[in-house]
Amino acid sequence: MEALPEFELLRPRTLAEAVDARAADPAARLLGGGTDLVVNIRRGIEAPGRLIDLTGVAELMTIKADAQALELGASVSLADLAANEAVRAHYPALAEAAASIAGPTHREMGTVGGNLCLDTRCIYYNQSDWWRAANHNCLKTTGQMCHVAPKSRGVCFATFSGDLAPALLVLGAEIELVGPAGARLLPLGELYIGHARHDGSGGDGKRYLSLRPGEIVTRVRVRAAPGLRSAYDKIRIRRSIEYPVAGVAAALKREGGVLADLRLAFTGTNPRPVLLAGTEKLCGGALDDRVFAGLDALVRDQVMAMKTTFTPGHYRRRVAGVLAKRLVTRLFAAG
Amino acid sequence: MARLLTLMLNGRKRVDAVADNLLLLDYLRESLRLTGTKTGCDGGECGACTVLVDDRPRLSCLTLAASCEGRRVETVEGLAEGGRLAPVQQGFHEKLGAQCGYCTPGLIMASEGLLRRSGDPSETEIREALASNICRCTGYVKIIEAVQHAARLRAGGETR
Amino acid sequence: MSEGAVHTIGQYVPMVDGPEKVSGRAKYTADFIEPGTLAGRIFRSPHAHAEILEVDVSAAAALPGVVAIVTGADCDKTFGVLPVARTEHPLARERVRYCGEPVAAVAAVDDATAAQALKLITLKVRELPAYVTASEAMAPGAVALHDHRPGNIERDVFFELGDVAEGLAEADLVREKSYHCAEVCQNQMEMHAAVAEYDPVRERMTVHASTQVPYYVHLMLSQTLDMEMSRIRVVKPHVGGGFGSRTETLNVELIAALLARKAGGGRVRLVVNREETFITHRGRPETEIRLKIGLRKDGRITAVECECHQRGGAHSGYGIVTILYAGSMLYAIYDLKRVKYIGKRVLTNTPPCGAFRGHGTVDVRFAFEALLDEMAQSLGLDPFAVRRANALTAPTFTDNDLMVNSYGLPQCLDWVERESGWQARKGRLPKGKGLGMACSHYISGASKPVNWTGEPHATVKLKLDFDGSIVVLTGAAEIGQGSSTILVQSVGEVLGLDLTRIRIVTGDSEVVPKDNGSYSSRVTFMVGNAAIDAAQNLKTLLVAAAARKLDCRPEDIECLGEIYRAGAQDRGVSFEAVVTEALKDTGTITVTGNFSTIPASHGGKKYRGAAIGGTMGYSYSAQVVEVSVDEETGVVTVDQVWVAHDCGKALNRLTVEGQVQGSVWMGMGQAMSEETGYHGGLLLTGNMLDYRVPTIQDSPPIAVGIVESNDPYGPFGAKEAGEGSLAAFLPALTNAIAEATGLRFTDLPVTPDRVFAALEKRQRDKSAAPGKAA
Repeated sequence: MEALPEFELLRPRTLAEAVDARAADPAARLLGGGTDLVVNIRRGIEAPGRLIDLTGVAELMTIKADAQALELGASVSLADLAANEAVRAHYPALAEAAASIAGPTHREMGTVGGNLCLDTRCIYYNQSDWWRAANHNCLKTTGQMCHVAPKSRGVCFATFSGDLAPALLVLGAEIELVGPAGARLLPLGELYIGHARHDGSGGDGKRYLSLRPGEIVTRVRVRAAPGLRSAYDKIRIRRSIEYPVAGVAAALKREGGVLADLRLAFTGTNPRPVLLAGTEKLCGGALDDRVFAGLDALVRDQVMAMKTTFTPGHYRRRVAGVLAKRLVTRLFAAG
Repeated sequence: MARLLTLMLNGRKRVDAVADNLLLLDYLRESLRLTGTKTGCDGGECGACTVLVDDRPRLSCLTLAASCEGRRVETVEGLAEGGRLAPVQQGFHEKLGAQCGYCTPGLIMASEGLLRRSGDPSETEIREALASNICRCTGYVKIIEAVQHAARLRAGGETR
Repeated sequence: MSEGAVHTIGQYVPMVDGPEKVSGRAKYTADFIEPGTLAGRIFRSPHAHAEILEVDVSAAAALPGVVAIVTGADCDKTFGVLPVARTEHPLARERVRYCGEPVAAVAAVDDATAAQALKLITLKVRELPAYVTASEAMAPGAVALHDHRPGNIERDVFFELGDVAEGLAEADLVREKSYHCAEVCQNQMEMHAAVAEYDPVRERMTVHASTQVPYYVHLMLSQTLDMEMSRIRVVKPHVGGGFGSRTETLNVELIAALLARKAGGGRVRLVVNREETFITHRGRPETEIRLKIGLRKDGRITAVECECHQRGGAHSGYGIVTILYAGSMLYAIYDLKRVKYIGKRVLTNTPPCGAFRGHGTVDVRFAFEALLDEMAQSLGLDPFAVRRANALTAPTFTDNDLMVNSYGLPQCLDWVERESGWQARKGRLPKGKGLGMACSHYISGASKPVNWTGEPHATVKLKLDFDGSIVVLTGAAEIGQGSSTILVQSVGEVLGLDLTRIRIVTGDSEVVPKDNGSYSSRVTFMVGNAAIDAAQNLKTLLVAAAARKLDCRPEDIECLGEIYRAGAQDRGVSFEAVVTEALKDTGTITVTGNFSTIPASHGGKKYRGAAIGGTMGYSYSAQVVEVSVDEETGVVTVDQVWVAHDCGKALNRLTVEGQVQGSVWMGMGQAMSEETGYHGGLLLTGNMLDYRVPTIQDSPPIAVGIVESNDPYGPFGAKEAGEGSLAAFLPALTNAIAEATGLRFTDLPVTPDRVFAALEKRQRDKSAAPGKAA
């Protein structure tokens, strides 16, 4: 048996109760399906004194979806999201991403909020207590060094591996946060503050979410862009259970023979999900080699894939580019 | 922290004092000695601990017992009625879906969850539904046959 | 009364212990939960190689709720499976040699207290250089892990039988290549566990252990606890798989017992987690192979030269046997005349390796079948024809004195060739698809067990009493492979009885006769033969009783299972009446059945260790694998496998199919996704996300053809079915990928990143080539 550290479990019934509980103890951790947090607690990575179980908050369990807009509660299960007909019809990248996460039982448990806030992962971090101590810990916990990049000067390169974020990024999602000071709406990309070399905005990677003390992710909103086609694909060594080696979401518009809009986002590679910058420069013409060469250059520049997984970073980065090209080709050709 | 937990376990109402940090897995195995539910990994990687909560599969190794307040929890011990194997159990027995038997309770519960949703699942549906469960003995070939057999037994089971 | 004798041999028979397993009633070691049981936990070394200066457990001992703590100071005895190489202490003394080696252990009132106590233990060491690779450990000047093994070579093996240079000179094509196979783990679903109960009044120890060989546990408990064997009882409950990881006694069961005794009595339950189960290891070593084959245009192999280095880990374990199998089992599948083998088993600062399914044979078979396929292609030969050109003719003895009595490989080849549509499809598949084939073989139990005392190789007892039920008493360890079912079937077959009359008791040293255990696929062959012998002995008694009852000569009695009669016209007497008669003389009847291997099967003496590989019956397997390769991503998909396995005689077609499918699939795991990795000496892959056992979504249909060569010595003609089909998958896969991509992979597992890297390299080489030419 695995004796977990002592904690108090709160099971709020309403969002107001949840917000109050969170405000009262900003160190409390929010519990969704437990597929990320409870694993980390079991490994001694975290030992929160209080857990707030959000799966009983009815307000956070709704999906509103049609051709115009999407609103998702944070406690919606990944299985319910993947099975939702309207989401499948109008936001295919999101449904495909949800359906690809971990395995079927994990998806019954895992939630939208949990996947968006998934802790960043690293082979030197997602290990037992004993292991991490034997390895002198690491920056992301109590150690002095990043084992991925020993000369990183305080930057943690642990990788973001959630599948929903890239799909929602290419759909232009916003995220609703509720805290003691009230609600605010952010473009989803601004939730992630993990280290990013390419735009100079990068933090230390240890903090990977921009949540303010006491804030809760409550809803995700998408306003549908007319004519936007989207899809999601990923590579894993096994076809179930494990996290993505690399995941890619793509969305594009085609007007006649012209690529009118192009968005790509990546997971499993960088300390944050990466919405590829500069794709607008590839639009305005046919989908030709120039576009693919440009896409390849952007991927090489922005997708970095350090040695945070057992699978080599080089492969993750290169295969992310392959998937991107495939998705774009397929979406452009479709319908 | 501890509390009184009220739930339906294998069709019967139970009230137990549980610590907030008690995993559903340990509640079942250590507190209630329902040892049919197995531990196979250090959390969320193998599916051996799968149980049904409100008819849907769940990993009991990552679920807090206290989160199951008011829910219906079912384990492998609850499937057989009157000592007679349930169709899903009979399917696994007769088609050798179980070799060492250790992953079996988890696979049986995941299969039962599938069969309650889909009475005549295709091979693709079976593969999708059992993809959170690792078996180290069978190569899964006979597990697929076992679930197909169980579906047939369920279909004809009313007259049995 | 027209019912005849019941026959189940050769049919599809569900396992006799299936109902317990599917209902959750089957108890595994960790399921023995009783109030008052102490929780055990192990403090493990964070160092890969270090001299122990001090283990301070005083703070832990002072923690309320801690009942006992043991360290290396509590046991100065060593253990190990091979009498010549027992280097391991249950808890490290003087030195730690791998990260995770047990240093101390705690028994406390509950798990939380035990876990807390571990944090209070301190270990002071002087670090020593640590060697994670075999080449580092063998380098000049390397510190010896064990003083008696300078240079860190656990065993050097060399033999040359026939003139290899001459053979190579006769060949039309000679090719040499190197192969690398990553270390793999059994990763059976049940994590290691032991429950030890010490009775201080009687000074007796009872240990429940998740083991394949209760007898070895018994021996090692006696040795490490310094207790008489008569004071020890070993119970093996249901076991959640082994695949060789539990052939050796593990430190887990010994530490549990040391804790129970130190606690002054009572029960200690020690269940280690998945990471610790990985660290306890005993898997297949990382292996480097250099192989040279000479091949003639007519397909005949003229010579073989093989050099094999195994990274064995920090202790010997089974190592000497593993490196010997790798050489000896080059033989007994093809007719080889000139063979040179150089083996090195190396000690390194990694967890100790052991006897993983297909022990010693798998990686060398991969190299052999891969190189043979490539050379056949170069000579324009059909790979099936090459195998047939080198077929053995049974009965025969190989050059290294292995006795081959039955040989169904040609029929295996025929089956997979036909079923896969090989001749029509090979070479005509669309781009990105490929078919590959390969063969493998395995033993049906080692003819000379490692702890041979001169007793029969197997003993089974049958008890028949007033109730008319027959109880099979055997030490053969049911670990999920179905051995109990086979033994019940064997007894039932001889007596013509329905299986419901027969019960089986296994795995409790207090009740059952000793058995050498479930490893090297020995149980069906050896214990099966002993069960038949026992049943025949019982039948003799029953026939004599029936003859008395019917007033005729025993030789006139016909046994129809539930009826014994004197000739076809006789109405006969019931089984119950015969039993009642038989019990009159002696009361409860117990009979014994034995089996011993014949000396001719004991292997040779042509080189040191030549007995390894000797068996009474070799199984054979041929396989065809069909793959699709995504050349842009490097992802390989196995679409279908066809496998034919010569198991002599399928005693139970259901379990034979299950065993063959399971072994093919386990080969697939090794070939495609499973591997360990280390960071310094720390195991990076000690979990089931990074150690990638295939899921149901990764697993292909596996069509099984059963070939029955009817072995003259096997029980009802049977040989092994649970290991021999593993190895062929590996080369069949890479041979199939060769057709799909034109690339021959020599480094396992063939993960997408490796395929991608190879494709990228080919692209680079292609682009570079014109430049070079210009």
